[in-house]
Amino acid sequence: MIEVKNIKKNFGKHSVLKDVSVKVEDGQVVVILGPSGSGKTTLLRCINFLENADSGRLTIGNLEVDLKKSTKKEILNIRRRTAFVFQNYNLFANKTAIENVMEGLVTGRHVPKAQARERAEEALNWVGLSDKFNYYPAQLSGGQQQRVGIARAFVLDPEVILFDEPTSALDPELVGETLDIIKKVAEKGITMIVVTHEMSFAQDVADKVIFMDGGIVVEEGTPEVIFSNPKEERTKQFLSRIISLDPNYSI
Amino acid sequence: MNFNLEHFKESLIYGLAYLPNTLSLVFVPLVIGLTFGTVIALVRVYKVPVIGWLMAVFVTVYQGIPIVVALMIYNLIFMLKFNDLAAFLHLKKSISDMNNIWVGIFALSMAAVCSISEAVRGALLSIDKGQNEAGYSVGLTTIQTIRRIIIPQMIPVAIPMLINNVVGLIKASSVVMAIGIVEIVAGATIPSSRTYSFFEGYVAAAVIYWGFTVVVESLAQRLKKYTGKFRRNLYD
Repeated sequence: MIEVKNIKKNFGKHSVLKDVSVKVEDGQVVVILGPSGSGKTTLLRCINFLENADSGRLTIGNLEVDLKKSTKKEILNIRRRTAFVFQNYNLFANKTAIENVMEGLVTGRHVPKAQARERAEEALNWVGLSDKFNYYPAQLSGGQQQRVGIARAFVLDPEVILFDEPTSALDPELVGETLDIIKKVAEKGITMIVVTHEMSFAQDVADKVIFMDGGIVVEEGTPEVIFSNPKEERTKQFLSRIISLDPNYSI
Repeated sequence: MNFNLEHFKESLIYGLAYLPNTLSLVFVPLVIGLTFGTVIALVRVYKVPVIGWLMAVFVTVYQGIPIVVALMIYNLIFMLKFNDLAAFLHLKKSISDMNNIWVGIFALSMAAVCSISEAVRGALLSIDKGQNEAGYSVGLTTIQTIRRIIIPQMIPVAIPMLINNVVGLIKASSVVMAIGIVEIVAGATIPSSRTYSFFEGYVAAAVIYWGFTVVVESLAQRLKKYTGKFRRNLYD
């Protein structure tokens, strides 16, 4: 179980997260929706200590930490129980696909090299990149890079994988292949928190949808409720703009 | 002006005889500069409290001093204080036993530390912040991320600037003549004071420096290719 309680975060005078609490059960897929600047990415980054929250508590499994006053050891501990998939992939540019996937195992978790390699190969096969082991990120397409990114997170066998807009830097064709992989991860029963603008993905895969705006959780519920019967006016407004986009519309 | 080939050859031989002095005046400061320069750059880029700020002040202030001036100051301190220091440390050495090439090496090292730290800092700043975050996200510590991800990516970016530093160091090594250390230039002009062929002497020195620089540059290009093999040819 992952629980974030009363998290607050300001950037200067701008308050990005105003007292947000989120609870995710084991094996649940939670999708966070919301307009740009609503604080959803910041929330995700705070969970992995890529941003330091101003206050709040975080529980992952049996480990509870204060988001503000955590020691280096606690931060490392949390990071070793979580994995992060970035919007712009952030693969290690100096390492090949397989080395990227092995890095967290070998250096971060002291898994013997041969064993790490075996697990990394398995993960890369699983995301459909069995022929790209020794390619550097610069030699891979965006979709392939993001699949390596997912394999790199998945191979660590974390308690939760955090996805930060994993498809928004990809072209429409590549979005499909990447979402398919994320769906496969979800089917494995791994706990996931996904920030995305892909509504159909949220409808298909999410167990729970959280709608954020202006640094607070406006509404949360099952996708059926949120998409077909939202209570809050702001949710209705946001969804109507997105869903009313004519799929045949082209620029 | 006549060019006496015999005298030129003689100067060349004398100059080359003192090449080892120039080599130690270049490579010892280079190694010291790379080590401490990288540390200073990292401390500044990762904003280590207080030390980072102190290093920034030190580099900025020190880079405002010409090498010759710093060299003269160190040499004076060395000459005036060495005997006292030796006595204090109970060393059975006096200044007459010491070779002041170490003063030259020290002055050049200080300059190298500063300029190399700036080159490395520039290269570090060019690396995307996301590379650090990716390292942290897979459970690496800051030190592990720096060692395994950031430094390998920094090296090929830094090499062109470092070549500049090394070439600068090779040429700057000739200023130690001012405190009486014999290196390539001083060596090449030793026969000139007998034969009056100073022109040949200086040309011989120039030729040696030129050869030295060419060798260093070609080695550095190879190193850059090797360390940058993960990048597309785009930059090379």
